[in-house]
Amino acid sequence: MHCTRGLGQHSSQHASLASSLHRTRLARKCSSKVAAFTLGNSRFSTSELLLHAQKRVLVTGGSGLVGRAIQHVINEEGGGKDGEEWIFLSSKDADLMNKEETQAVFQKHKPTHVIHLAAMVGGLFKNMRVNLDFWRNNIYINDNVLQAAHEVDAVKVVSCLSTCIFPDKTTYPIDETMIHNGPPHASNFGYSYAKRMIDVHNRAYFEQYGRSYTSVIPTNVFGPHDNFNIEDGHVLPGLIHKAYRAQKEGKPLVVWGSGTPRRQFIYSLDLARLVLWVVRDYNEVEPIILSVGEEEEVSIKEAAEAVVRALDFKEEVVYDTDKSDGQFKKTASNAKLMRYLPNFAFTPFEKALKETCDWFVANYDNARK
Amino acid sequence: MASQNGSVLMRVLVTGGSGLIGKAIEQVVMRDGEKREGEQWIFISSKDADLLDLEQTRAVFEKHRPTHVIHLAAKVGGLYLQMRENLHFLRDNLRINDNVLWTAHEMGVTKVVSCLSSCIFPDKTTYPIDETMIHLGPPHESNYGYSYAKRMIDVQNRAYFAQYGHRYTAVIPTNVFGPHDNFNEAEGHVLTAIMNKTYKAKRNNTTLNVWGSGKPLRQFIYSMDIGRLMVWVLREYDEVDPIILSVGEEDEVSIRQAVEMIAEALEFKGKIEYDTSLSDGQLKKTANNAKLRRYLPDFTFTPFREAVKLTCDWFVKNYDHART
Repeated sequence: MHCTRGLGQHSSQHASLASSLHRTRLARKCSSKVAAFTLGNSRFSTSELLLHAQKRVLVTGGSGLVGRAIQHVINEEGGGKDGEEWIFLSSKDADLMNKEETQAVFQKHKPTHVIHLAAMVGGLFKNMRVNLDFWRNNIYINDNVLQAAHEVDAVKVVSCLSTCIFPDKTTYPIDETMIHNGPPHASNFGYSYAKRMIDVHNRAYFEQYGRSYTSVIPTNVFGPHDNFNIEDGHVLPGLIHKAYRAQKEGKPLVVWGSGTPRRQFIYSLDLARLVLWVVRDYNEVEPIILSVGEEEEVSIKEAAEAVVRALDFKEEVVYDTDKSDGQFKKTASNAKLMRYLPNFAFTPFEKALKETCDWFVANYDNARK
Repeated sequence: MASQNGSVLMRVLVTGGSGLIGKAIEQVVMRDGEKREGEQWIFISSKDADLLDLEQTRAVFEKHRPTHVIHLAAKVGGLYLQMRENLHFLRDNLRINDNVLWTAHEMGVTKVVSCLSSCIFPDKTTYPIDETMIHLGPPHESNYGYSYAKRMIDVQNRAYFAQYGHRYTAVIPTNVFGPHDNFNEAEGHVLTAIMNKTYKAKRNNTTLNVWGSGKPLRQFIYSMDIGRLMVWVLREYDEVDPIILSVGEEDEVSIRQAVEMIAEALEFKGKIEYDTSLSDGQLKKTANNAKLRRYLPDFTFTPFREAVKLTCDWFVKNYDHART
């Protein structure tokens, strides 16, 4: 899938700039570890190039929950900027677990920036079944993407972590400095360790090559285009799908677990807007948590009740306490984000949930379930 | 015990077979009489397969059809090399380990024993460290690439057990040294690098220059002792959780003490200088060998001074083809 936006008057000049770039081996000699490029007899630093705002952004996992949200913000909300070209990839374009296919797609598009969302993901119960697959597949995808990005001289990669990868035994709220301070929750240790390794890779690419590869850490994301599969999906889309079916069948909504665990939910469209800001303006290699504040944390029970309201669900709600709860809480601090963007306004939870439910009902036939 | 027709009951593939520990296992098994009837031992090195390449890994497993694997192959190196190349240590070791473990799984290998190291433990920690503490915090900055990649072996072992019931496990030696080690001054580990330097300083009548202050403390374990212990782990240790293979805490020595023993072993009488402008690495990594002692209360380690002498003697005798 392809999307080009706002190249404006400079397109031909910048296109030739992009096609005639070649990297000189100056990175190690520059005191500030900034790569240099030559064009004819002129030499441009990376920062100068970025000032000219020619960005070709490759989004892996472009057809997923967050990828679709970014597409929506770029295409429908005027979120793109002049000089930016956006390319959204999905598994149809390349199997990122395969090194050759990954390199081919990077060579084809030669991105300057990458938003790396592609991963093997799933809810609690799927993770518990196949931790090894979650570890292996994600390690491969991430290594292939970061190395391919490095080889085409992409100046920035923004990867996607998750608050579920933090240490299980910890103080709250968790923050960006705490990722590696202890083992993650046992239920999804494969996924968690694979994701943590992205942060380790980022630091190593910076030390060795001066790359500004970084990552974001969202809390529980939800929205249109999610995976609404009940066995494998995450909690909110799972609840939405279950409630929709239960309503049709005149049966109770059965919530797995006790309903007491607590989560911070972030709407995919809010996350997309924040990721765009990270790609453009966040320059640290250390990751950044993207989440609503701690005070917005809700219990699964409260979330279920909100789904009931959003779908106008009329039957009973029951809790199957034989099923696992997963982690009790993962409360994350968004203080770092608030320092950078004190005025960012999140979509209110009820409104975001209503939009998601409306989307699901309207798109039931095509929704991933 | 072999069956009547002499069929093979255990075929062990040792990756990294030409390295320090591989050679020690080979010595122990093939020449010191540890091999049992019905066992076949195959030692492979990078000449036989580049384990960074999945197809080559598969080919060598298919050729030998092992029932068991001792997985020693890795990209390894001393402090200064690691500090320069954390990314390569991370990526290469992740790949080698996944290729070996996954191929072992595909081929129905019963058991894999991989090799970790006490240098991968959390930097900020209480001492002594034990097997339960591997993941309790970030490793030392100097070699985080290697450390994380090695830690992931333990993660994989647990995942292979959870998903497939495989009993893949790992050992955690402290600082190993011995014949066939890497004696390169810049890239080898501390003891053997110093042996090389001392040898040269003696030959050239110069000062022995030791990097760092000499203060860091280490538990050194002779490669032959590791060899014998790893054979025991392969045969008898059934846990998926790793086991530390080390001398006791009471046998920890400082680099300075080690230098003095090496000088004595090589009869070096010249001046010794400590260059304190260079990094010391971790000050201590004291490991607890209580788990090993519970399993093998009577195991006798080669005394350190003797092991140093044996290694120095080997080095002098084999100087021309030693890895320097």
